[in-house]
Amino acid sequence: MTRQAEDMPRRWDSTRVTLATGVAVSPAVAAAIVERGPIIYAPILLAIGLGIAWPLLFARLRQQPLRWDGLLTAAVFVLLLPAAVPLWQLALALSFGLVFGDLIFGERGRSFLNPATVGLAFLLFSFPGLAIETSGLSVTIAATVSGAILLGIGLLSWRVVTAVAIGVAGPVFLLSGTEGFGIIPSAGLLLGIVFLIGDPVAAACTNAGRWVYGGLAGGLVVLLGHAADGVGTLSSVVFAALLASVLAPLIDQIVILFNVRRRARRQAHV
Amino acid sequence: MQFTIRKGLQTNTECLKGPVEEPPVQSVAFLGADYPGVVFDLRVAQGDQVIAGQTLCVDRHRPEIAFVASVAGCVGRIRLGPRRKLEVLELTCQGEANRAFDVCTAAQGDVALRKLLLQSGGWASFRTRPFGHVPDPTSRPQAIFVTATDTNPLAPDPMAVLAPTIEMFQRGTEALLHLTDGPVYICQPDDAPLVSAVDRMRFVSFSGPHPAGLPGTHIHHIMPASRQRLVWQIGYQDVIAIGHLLETGRIMARRIVSVGGTALANPALVEVPLGARLSDIAQDLTQTNASQLLSGSILSGYRSEYLRRFDLQMTVTGSRRDGRIRPFWRRLLDRLPSAPTGATLPLEGLERAFPFDLLPVPMMRALAVGDVETAERLGCLELLEDDLMLLSHLCPSGSDYGALLRRTLDILAEEQAA
Repeated sequence: MTRQAEDMPRRWDSTRVTLATGVAVSPAVAAAIVERGPIIYAPILLAIGLGIAWPLLFARLRQQPLRWDGLLTAAVFVLLLPAAVPLWQLALALSFGLVFGDLIFGERGRSFLNPATVGLAFLLFSFPGLAIETSGLSVTIAATVSGAILLGIGLLSWRVVTAVAIGVAGPVFLLSGTEGFGIIPSAGLLLGIVFLIGDPVAAACTNAGRWVYGGLAGGLVVLLGHAADGVGTLSSVVFAALLASVLAPLIDQIVILFNVRRRARRQAHV
Repeated sequence: MQFTIRKGLQTNTECLKGPVEEPPVQSVAFLGADYPGVVFDLRVAQGDQVIAGQTLCVDRHRPEIAFVASVAGCVGRIRLGPRRKLEVLELTCQGEANRAFDVCTAAQGDVALRKLLLQSGGWASFRTRPFGHVPDPTSRPQAIFVTATDTNPLAPDPMAVLAPTIEMFQRGTEALLHLTDGPVYICQPDDAPLVSAVDRMRFVSFSGPHPAGLPGTHIHHIMPASRQRLVWQIGYQDVIAIGHLLETGRIMARRIVSVGGTALANPALVEVPLGARLSDIAQDLTQTNASQLLSGSILSGYRSEYLRRFDLQMTVTGSRRDGRIRPFWRRLLDRLPSAPTGATLPLEGLERAFPFDLLPVPMMRALAVGDVETAERLGCLELLEDDLMLLSHLCPSGSDYGALLRRTLDILAEEQAA
């Protein structure tokens, strides 16, 4: 006897998760459109096209229904993209991210990486010397709103966010004292925390692991930024997110190891 | 002892206290799926007249264990599933005849009590941890857990059910002491002991949000089960039934069950025989056939024709009749196309609703891919289906982790037996 999906009044299903994340990402997209003006139209349209086309192709090949989270990847990708990137580079990088960060694994939740992170890392590796984008205040505020929405509905872990904040603030304070805090509220860093580092699929999946993962990601943002062109820049955030999510399964395995040992000890004593 | 569980899901519904209605039930059934791991040998055929307490079938590998009729009546349809496994045995209710058991010696000792419980079907009200099987007739558990709490939304209030039958409950719990050398834990919502303590009886109070009232949560916090440590669990109404059997020599196969759900104007308590047909109960209350009937609560119910053995709740879903208007965004969400079953999404909320020192997401992933070894390492032997229902409810994937756990436990049990 198995339960039919329609028997269960579920709180979430994948359509609802996608819709809620879409609602959360929309203020940031709107702010970016207002701020950057018509120059962003072409990248957005191209990204949306790719965000539908690749999942559609894979859905057809696998004879599965189409899922819409490719659109979210596209939106986050464009939000973090430097404005000077040519469209063909965008198309190449986003396609790489969608296919190798997500679709070849199956579907969202089966991969261990965020596809936007993979795409951006591909872009930064392949085409070095990109002009660093500095988004303005409205995108920063909108990113904060997005993060607050996701935190409120539980799609973003407060443990990861807090740990990232500690992981960034600690080293920054050690390196440059209190005046170093000025760089923290940059739009790129906030968007990166909310959508790249905070993606539940890319993050660790245990509570203890979330603290370690967030702290690691935050520390890497500072370390990589300090070594290259400044804390909170796109490359520091993207590579920190990539490295941290590659290490997340290892962190989880260590947490599992401790949990198993603790329970074995308790079994022996109770 | 006292436990306050913090993790869980707050529901804004309370336990139901009464009054208890008695809807006319025309048909009851014995469901094979209620007893995982048992191969049934039938002792009746279609058309036979049976009385309440008469053996319907026995376990092929342990023929001492009898499964009995909960009502007097006529054996109707017997449906066999794949590999000729008994799925449903229907009984049409007729008359009140009730088989008398010899109980003179049963209260004194272990052997006589076991024999009585095995004959009268009371044995099948125990479930083991690990595996959730009907216990072996000769096994002695390291502890027995009596669950006198229920935190499912709209569950019957155990205190209200126990109040008029507390003497039988006392008698039942005292009898349980014969079956184990270890303690008998009585898990209850309040601090004051439910009955007067005898010998190895221990009273433990549990409070907190659902699933603080489930036996899995209690056993995990008091005495986690494992391959080395076998414990039994039994529900409070089944203990009352054992007390009744010892007192009168006749089985008490009626249970107080709550009926809730959106298609119902008001939730209600009903007293019905075990395995009662859900539509008989619902028809009396809703005067309609157009609803979806679940055996179990809204969080954990299965669509079923009959009340399952260990459920004390049924749910009538369907068009709303309780007069409440849902907020517009809920209605909007309901209009979205239903998503197919997918991958586990590791949300933080899953851990917030899982009051075990186990890691829910790694466990869910191991169960979903059928990784039996990892699931065991992560502690799945401590769990039964009910413990994972809340995770199935909260996880966006749409997987039924209870059913996945059952599959894993069956494989592990087979390995252990081999």
